[in-house]
Parts: sequence; structure tokens; C-alpha cells
Amino acid sequence: MADARTIESILVADCGTVFTKLLLLERVEDSYRFVAQAAALTTLNPPWHDLGIGVVQALEQLEEITGRTLYSAARLITPQQGMEGVDAFVVTVSAAEPLSLVIAGLVREMSLESARRAAAGTYTDIKAILSREGSLSSPQETWARTTRDVSPDVVLLVGGVDGGARRPVMELADAIALAASMLEQDQRPTVLYAGNAELRSNIIKLLGDIAHVEVVDNVHPTTATEQLGPAQNALEQYYIEERLKTAPGADTLMSWSRLPLLPTATAFSRVVDYLCRREKNPDRGVLGVDAGAATTTVAATFDGRPYVTVYGKGVAYGPLSWVKEHGIAALLQWVPEEMEEEELLTLLYNRELRPWTVPQDPRELWVEQAIAREMLRSALAIALPTWDVGKSGTSPGMMPHVDPLLISGGGLVHMPRPGQALLVALDGLQPTGISTVLLDVNRAAPALGAVAGLKPLAAASALETGALVSLGTVISPVGKARPGEVVLRMRITYEDGGTLDVEARYGDIEIWPLLPGQKASLELRPNHRFDVGLGVGRGGKVQAIGGLVGLVVDARGRPLVLPDDPDHRRRTLHGWIWDVGG
Amino acid sequence: MFIPYSMANPLTLVRIARRLPRPGEVIVRLGEAVEPTHIVAQAVEPVDFRIVDVARELNLPVKKIKPYLKVKRGDTVAAGDILASRGGVGGQVCRAPIDGSIVGSGRGRLLVEAQPQGVSLAALVPGLVVEVLPNEGVVIETIGAWMQMGWGNGEEAYGVLRVVVRAPRQPIRVKNIDAASQGAIVVGGSRLDDEALDQAVEMQVRGIIVGSVAPSMIPRLEAVDFPVVATEGIGAAPMSQVYFDLLRSLDGREAAVGGRLRHRWRAERPYVVVPMPAQSAPPINPESPLVVGSRVRVLRGSYTGVSGVVSNIPTTMIQLETGARLPGVQVDFGGKEFALIPFMNLERLL
Repeated sequence: MADARTIESILVADCGTVFTKLLLLERVEDSYRFVAQAAALTTLNPPWHDLGIGVVQALEQLEEITGRTLYSAARLITPQQGMEGVDAFVVTVSAAEPLSLVIAGLVREMSLESARRAAAGTYTDIKAILSREGSLSSPQETWARTTRDVSPDVVLLVGGVDGGARRPVMELADAIALAASMLEQDQRPTVLYAGNAELRSNIIKLLGDIAHVEVVDNVHPTTATEQLGPAQNALEQYYIEERLKTAPGADTLMSWSRLPLLPTATAFSRVVDYLCRREKNPDRGVLGVDAGAATTTVAATFDGRPYVTVYGKGVAYGPLSWVKEHGIAALLQWVPEEMEEEELLTLLYNRELRPWTVPQDPRELWVEQAIAREMLRSALAIALPTWDVGKSGTSPGMMPHVDPLLISGGGLVHMPRPGQALLVALDGLQPTGISTVLLDVNRAAPALGAVAGLKPLAAASALETGALVSLGTVISPVGKARPGEVVLRMRITYEDGGTLDVEARYGDIEIWPLLPGQKASLELRPNHRFDVGLGVGRGGKVQAIGGLVGLVVDARGRPLVLPDDPDHRRRTLHGWIWDVGG
Repeated sequence: MFIPYSMANPLTLVRIARRLPRPGEVIVRLGEAVEPTHIVAQAVEPVDFRIVDVARELNLPVKKIKPYLKVKRGDTVAAGDILASRGGVGGQVCRAPIDGSIVGSGRGRLLVEAQPQGVSLAALVPGLVVEVLPNEGVVIETIGAWMQMGWGNGEEAYGVLRVVVRAPRQPIRVKNIDAASQGAIVVGGSRLDDEALDQAVEMQVRGIIVGSVAPSMIPRLEAVDFPVVATEGIGAAPMSQVYFDLLRSLDGREAAVGGRLRHRWRAERPYVVVPMPAQSAPPINPESPLVVGSRVRVLRGSYTGVSGVVSNIPTTMIQLETGARLPGVQVDFGGKEFALIPFMNLERLL
């Protein structure tokens, strides 16, 4: 294979739950540019059972598009030979089945909550939670039965601060030992212990002969501290070993690549981390969201520290179970036309049965957008408490200041109009202050995150040369006012010297022209009760970057509240859709 | 681009995988001929168990229960049998909570496990075993009509098809399910309502094939013990004309109805297979490209469930009502009705 310094071309395969995307990057002088992309259905599941088939189908398309031979004798041609083949091949995967997990712990609001957040660091499916639920006795029989019946890949056992509770943790371990002993040897779970550090040897003594036990630092070492990293890393490593590498067809792909398969969420978070290092703004973090078919990934970097959260529901697989948890009204509230529950449920069921399909008419599109909003909200609700946002912080529970905000994933980038993608992101994430919103229009971000592991220059130059498209700059004042009250006055000074004095009223989304590539200087004068990211009532001068939508002021307030009256709400939603370009 | 497909074929080589719900043992051989009720594989269900805290019940320290135990590991016990006792007549006793055997002891407790229950997998489809999936099941091959469905309730059965409506748009009503439906697989048009389902249960039908099922009916349909499958999926779409015509032509024949639902990780599709006494039939090539003349079915929008024929494949993108521009085809639904449908919302009918 070619040396990293002489890599002329890179092919990236992103094997998603529904589609496998291929991106071809080529070196042009000192930078790397996109040459072409192709997509095919992911073929991990029956009737194919082979991840490689989808990659080959997409390769054939890519050959047709580029006129270049890439695949011969049942393998990818590598390294590049003249105009045939590529120098490097990297693969990201989110299609593999998530790790099935049982979480066992003591206090719901403490160690168990930390365990849930640790599990959200990679692709996991929490099948059961074992805890006392406030009862005095330990339902060991129930715990053991649950664990045995679920037969998970991993039991994440937490509980007790370091030096704290002993007996209740050992009772849980006892039940897990019993369950494991009732399972066949090859079906026994790995026990990942991340509880009271003083019990480690007891846990190993009890469980070591029955199951594979791995010990990591306590997720809640003291009542005031949370430490998710070690447990997250262990789970991610286990996911890579047990799910990615063993996925049908993964061996073929690995034989074509010199880099290990990478979880898509990990690759995506690398891009967000890169954007943060590029911005070098200590007052703001960077946020990326990837709305996929089966998962919603939230990646953020604050103060140079990366965070990743994988919410196990996406726009196709997940809305039905989401509705069972949150109620159908929460989705219906976003639909700007009258719709019966039956119609909405029908769409959700069929979307799950045929996840590759797209909205054919506006009603289906409204539902698709409603789902994307709520998936973003739910994913963010898990991610927010894990962030140490430093100077980027706003009010508790509110989105900290982030710039840029990267939106990716089929659930967002396939909206027919860019304004719709922006509106869904604003509703789902509710950013505060000033953010440039970038759209990963080619769904390239995870791929480039993977490329960064091979050739950081290639990833960086592709990101700088159009891989991400700006939707515009969004200003989201935070505060409360009466509908129609002016919350922000602003002078826009364009590069050609032209100026525009404008104002935004509470409850509205206002958009002013600022084309892609254009810059403008903004003089902000917020209402004395509002914060545009410069302090309550404080204004100032900032630079704004244009985009496909323009310069946007989201003056709807935070948190965003929809009108209760259905007719009023639908009119309002229609108004907002109209504001962002239909 | 590869377009997903559904089988809707009157005579072809059918291969159906039959899998156990959990690892077990395959008890037929490669090449063996099987009938619908023939057991092809068996597995053991996870058994019930109880933890009996002898030390607590006898009020003894954990390390001192041994002299009081009346059973040992491996013993078979019946519910109510004395496991341990202390203090003679009128003393404390500890009894077995279930029938089973003692499989473990320690820390003052006994583990009583119930007798294992077996689960058997029938062939369902008559034919030849052409592949043995070790510990999982078998693949059975037969010749006949093969229809893949959009939705199923998880149940399966073998029985005689009985078409009870005259048109694919006609729902199954109570009056359509009479005494003659007993033991039959009832075929309807668009959907069925609660009353019709009640009647089907009352009449002991063996299964139901319908166009669509309403989301609100899913819990009830998942609770009945016979298969209910829907050609189109969830909603109110009528049965595709292709399916209806095929099923009507098979009225009175025996059919295997598999209602196991397509699952994200174990994508079995619900199906109806009608074995035919033919010696050979052409296999279907699912990789065949979409061309003008291909039979297709629409999966989204107002044409959901409507089948037609590809009449044109434009080289430019088509624009949807949503504003999206995507590659697609023109579909001729017959009767001079045409529509532009993106590839992603189409399914080939093979």
C-alpha cells in the first residue's frame, strides 16, 4: 500500500443502517477534493447477510460516475495504479447491531443515571435496568431471571461511591452470577464493573469463574463527581470487537483497508473536535448532530474536551417506541395540518417496515420533520448533563453557546429545502446566542472523521473546500417578552458598505439576505431583558457568515413553547415554515 | 440502483428459512422430504426457577443450614416437598415452591429449577430440506406460488385459502366470515375491523390475509393465536391488485402462512406459500434490473399499495410534491393513470 505521504486518492465507505455511502477524495495539489459519491442499500441483514455486497453495489455506481475501475477480481484495487483503484480505503459503520446491555445499580438518580450516560457513549441497547426501586429487600430472583432471559452482551454493574455501599452491590453481583451460571458458556455476558472501587476484588472473586469480568473506574466515585470516560471506552472497545469486527462481511472490508473499522459516531465526533480546534473560541463550544435512521448522535466539544452521545433511536427505527414513552401528542404538535393519530401511527409503522423510503407528499414530510425534531430533543436531553461547558454555559438545562453547529444525517440533510433542515434543527436543539449552522450536505462528516485517522490533511482540506455547506448565521436571543415586542435591533453592514437596519420581534423567525460566501458586520442591540450571547441586555459588533438560508434571527424565545390551541399552533408552525422558505 | 422487491409470483422455486427462536438442535437431514407438521428442529425454553432462602426461613446462620437440609443437589422435588426443617413436630419447615430439581446451593440458599420445556419448530412449508443451519433450523425448498407480505402478527399456520371478498378494496366484514371459514385461511381485500376479528376468532379460522391493518388493531392482532398477514403493511391501503388476483386464483388451495415480522436484525418477512404439484419452476433473480415493463408497487404517498408497470425511466430527476428532486420512474397504473415515483418509494414485484 502507498505510504501515507503519497496518498493520491482515498475511498471512504460509511455503512449506515439503511444506506451505504461511498465518497471518493483525490489530491489536487496540496489539498484533497471530493470527486464523486455513490450510495446503495446496506446489506448487513437478510437476505444478503454481507456488509460487502452493499459496498460493491455502491462501488459499481462510483465506477459508472467516474469512469474509473475501482473493483476487480472480487476486491478493491489498492493502491492506485494509474487511473485504476485508490490508495487508501477507510470504513465507518453504524449498521451493526448495538451491544445489548443490562444495567445494574443502586440509586436511579446517581450511579444508574451515570451508567445510562456511559452506555450512550456508543451503540448500545439497554434491555433492562436492575435496581431496588426503593424496596428494602433485594429482588434477586427477579434480577437473575431478567438477566438470564435477556442474555445481554454486557452487564454494566455500578453502584456505591468509592468506599461506600457494599452489601447492595454484592447482592446485585450475586444475582448476575446466578443468571450467568444458568446460561450456556458462550452466551454468558461480560460483566463490566464500574462501581465502588473497594469491591473490585470481591466482584472478581464472585464472578470471575463464571463470566468474563472487566473492571474500570467508578462512574460515580463520589456523590459530587461523575466519571464516564473509562466505562465509555470499555463499552466502545467491546462494541468494536464484538459487533463491528464480527459483522457479516466486515472481514472482507477490513482486508481492503489498513485502518480498523470505526464506529460512525466516533468518526463524526472527530470532525466536531476538529471544528472546535479550528475555531479556537474559548467562549463557545462546537456541536454536531447526526440524525440517522436508527440512532441520533450528538457530538460536542467544550474547552477542548470531546463528548459523544449515541441515542438509540433514529428517524426510521425508534419513533414507534419513542411514542410509547412520550405519547403521540408530542409528535402531533409539530404537524402543521390536522392529522389523526391513526394516520401518524400508520406512517411511523410503515417507515419502520420500509426505512429506505422518502416522504412522497407534504403530510409525510411534516411527520418526518416532527420525528427529527423530537429525536434531536431526546438525544440532547441525554447529552446535555454529560457536558462540562465552561464559559459556553447559559442557564441550566439550556443549550450552551455553540459555534459552529453542524447538522448531518439523512434525517436532516435530505429535507427538500435548506430552510426546512435549519428549522428542524432550531426546533430540536434550540441553540442560544450566535451560531453558524453548517449542513453536511454530502453526509461526508463521519467519512472525513475516519479519513482524519489516516491523513489529517485530507480531512481538513476537504472540510475547508466545500464538504460542509453553510446555511447561515443564526442569532437566538434568550429571554421572555410579549408576542410582537421587539427583542433585537440590528444594523447589518455588508462587505460592499451597504447597510440595513432591522428589528426582530418576539415569536418570529426573521431572515435577511446574506448569501453563501458573503460576510457582514452586525451591530446588535438586544432588548434589555434579552441575551444574544454577549450578556443580558448587552449588544456589540459581531461578524456573520452567509449561507443558503441567510442571516437568521430566531426570536421565538427559549425554551421554545408552542401555542396550546391546535388551530393557533398550526398557523404558527405554517408561519415559521413560510419564514424559512417553505 | 438496487430496488427492493417483494415476491408475488404464481409459480417459482421457493426457499423458506425456518429458524428456532433460540439455539437448539436440527433433527432432520439434508435432502429429507418434509410435510407442514413435520418437526424439523427443537430447542429448550429457559426454565422457571426459584431461590429458596433456607437460612432466613429457618432463622439460621448461613453456615449452619447443612444439617437441616432434606435434599441435595440433583434431587427432584415437587411443589410443597420439604427442603429443610428444624425443630421436629411443630418446628419450622422450608418447602419447595415449584416442581423441579435442586440445581444449586450456597450462602444459605437453594436454587430450584423447573423441568425444562421443549419448543418444536414445524416445517410449515412442505418440501425438501436443502440446507441445514446448524443449531438454528433449516431451509426448505418447494415449488409453488410465493407472496411476501408487508406485515405479520408473528403466528404461522397451514390451511386452505378461502377468498371471502370480491374486490381488493372490499374490507372483510362479519358477514364474510361464516361457518365455511372454520379452519380456513380467510383472504380479504382492504382491511378488517374489530367485529370481523371477533367473528374470525369465534369461527376458529386458521389465518387471515388482508391488504392492510389499522395501527389501533395491532395489539389485538398480536394477541390472537392464528396468523394475520397484510400484503401492504399498516394503514388502510387496499390489497394490491397483483396480490388479490393471485390469491383469488389460488382459492381453495392449501397454503403456508408465515407471519413472523421483518425485524431490524433478523429480517424474516411474512409470507404466503402455496405448494404446487409442478416438477420444476424458474427461480427468480432478485438482482434483475428495473426496466420499462417491470412490475412495481408504490410504498409511500397517495398511491401506497397500488401496483403498476414502469412505463418510462426519465434521465433527469423527478420533482415530488414535497419539492424534493430525486431519480425515479413513471408508473402506469392502468386506466390511463400515471405517476412519477422516486426509486426509493418503489418496490419491484417479482
